[in-house]
Amino acid sequence: MNQEEQFLEMLENHKGILYKIANAYCRDAEARRDLVQEMTYHLWKSFGNYNDTYKHSTWIYRIALNVAISFYRKDHVRKEQTDILTDSILNLKDTEVPAESDQHLFLLQQFISELREMDKAVMLLYLEEKSHKEIAEIVGLSESNVGTKISRIKTILTHKFSTFKNQF
Amino acid sequence: MDQSEIINLWKAYDRKLEASLMLNKSNAIEITRLKTKSLLSSMTPLKIFTIIVGMLWVGIGGTIVVNLFVHAYASVSPFFLYSAAFQLLLTAIGIGIYLYQLVLIHQMDITDTLIKTQKRLTQLKSSTLWVARILLLQLPAWTTFYWSMDLIKSGHLPYIFLNSVVTLLAIAVSLWLFINIRYENREKKWFKLIFEGKEWTPVIKAIELHKEIEAFERE
Repeated sequence: MNQEEQFLEMLENHKGILYKIANAYCRDAEARRDLVQEMTYHLWKSFGNYNDTYKHSTWIYRIALNVAISFYRKDHVRKEQTDILTDSILNLKDTEVPAESDQHLFLLQQFISELREMDKAVMLLYLEEKSHKEIAEIVGLSESNVGTKISRIKTILTHKFSTFKNQF
Repeated sequence: MDQSEIINLWKAYDRKLEASLMLNKSNAIEITRLKTKSLLSSMTPLKIFTIIVGMLWVGIGGTIVVNLFVHAYASVSPFFLYSAAFQLLLTAIGIGIYLYQLVLIHQMDITDTLIKTQKRLTQLKSSTLWVARILLLQLPAWTTFYWSMDLIKSGHLPYIFLNSVVTLLAIAVSLWLFINIRYENREKKWFKLIFEGKEWTPVIKAIELHKEIEAFERE
């Protein structure tokens, strides 16, 4: 299997990661498409230097989250570079978009998108049930610090849900 | 909704995605064929060009000014000499900042941890604000280089007065801007007037994120 095939296989196996990150960082469909494209581009560029001491998913999360956090600084240079492909790299098979099919899920995604950039990353990793060790490796914090952050973000999230429930 | 419900909700979302998400392989392959440079490396040629032009300016200008200081100090206007030296010094500092940015670009590793990478990226962007401060500090030098001792000795008071006012104003404005061009003043009208636009908005946002990361580490 050549490098390109290996890359496509890895992308196929972890495509959900890119979609979920793009969804959390960009609520606008066009920006989301551009972000997925840019994440894929950076993954490919770094693929030759993949460090196998990390799991594929850890490595993908690091790159994809780094790209997503930097993406808001979008300018004309970036725009020129991300507009290379006219179609999306990731598509949903049916017209029913999962994010809107469930009110709770929609709310959860909205609450996540309201979090600060770094908190958002920790939250996504927590929801993916990554271990504290893996989250620490991706974010660059100590494991104990990750624990503190998660419990704080969980409290925020639970509070948001209960506030919403009380309103309606 | 408790924690386990939230996790289950996310798992259900994951399952739905797994079932309906498709990778457009031909587009993904196209990405692997792209020869375009990344955003960061695309910044490099412009910075290198600026550094080369700046170095030529400082090198040639510096040689001339140093020679004038050493060999012709008595015959050349001290106003010209000191103004030019001041301008060249500040340009050299500006080049230093650009070199620092090149080092940061070179050290950038998108596969590194979020905190490390984002800190480098935001440092890179926010140092651009320093270039603006340094460049604006040059302002008074452009109002004094053409002065001469003959002008002072001529006793042409209105002309001397007008030039002095312009220079003092330039000093006051450049010093004030040097001190006040800070992220904390980003909401002020004058700040927005100077720094709003395509080039500066990302710089301000980068500083914002830098502060957020620092707070994130402390919390």
